[in-house]
Amino acid sequence: MRQARPYSGMFCGGVSARTGPHALPLARIKKIMKRSAGEAAAGDGGARMISGEAPVVFSKACELFIAELTRRAWAATLEGKRRTVHREDVADAVRNTDLFDFLVDVVTNDND
Amino acid sequence: MGSPQHVSHVRASSSASTDVDGGGLNGNQDNLLPIANVGRIMKDVLPPQAKISKHAKEIIQECATEFVGFVTGEASERCHQERRKTINGDDICHAMRSLGLDHYADAMRGYLRRYRESEEVAAALNNNNGREIQIDVRDELSIFRSNEQRQGRN
Repeated sequence: MRQARPYSGMFCGGVSARTGPHALPLARIKKIMKRSAGEAAAGDGGARMISGEAPVVFSKACELFIAELTRRAWAATLEGKRRTVHREDVADAVRNTDLFDFLVDVVTNDND
Repeated sequence: MGSPQHVSHVRASSSASTDVDGGGLNGNQDNLLPIANVGRIMKDVLPPQAKISKHAKEIIQECATEFVGFVTGEASERCHQERRKTINGDDICHAMRSLGLDHYADAMRGYLRRYRESEEVAAALNNNNGREIQIDVRDELSIFRSNEQRQGRN
């Protein structure tokens, strides 16, 4: 059990919370961030630098986000008396949640 | 929500195409969060009898990617206005709050604080590499912990 050795498994390369197992890969998150940061900063021609902690925050935040969106989609699935979550259930969840307005294009328009 | 960056905002997940590499709609997966991880998280929050269609996984993969891009764009804008070059964890939390994602902002503030504390401990350990360190682990031992604290610390 972990209690006896609180930092077990993290000795190689030094101890850090950054290297711990995350639900989503930090490198990929950073890549996605750089693309968006670059676009938003197009005015001053600069890509933003991204601190090491930012992808760590997103790894957890995305986990919560996926969990929330999935649960809401599942509510739509249940309403349709089904047990398989379909794309339309996700679309319903997005449309029914004000907070997810920014996703409306993602769920309705997949032709680029 | 009429912030200028929204107009020029390019969808972070705009790789969704019908190319057949790798199968499914999201053939080129490089600029999306990995679908395996996304699927695993989804599975964990659903009851055991639930099934998830591949398209549902893909659309949530895109939504989560868009979430990152959307919040990052806002955080980047804030950094630009404050003449800072580096986006840090606080900027992410502030961006979430600006975008109406208050419960995410609150949850992440606490997470970020704990993360920074653990990084400080890690730095101290690394600096002392090879030398004896005194760590008070009484807190870590279950015998000193209440039941609540013992559950699900991740």
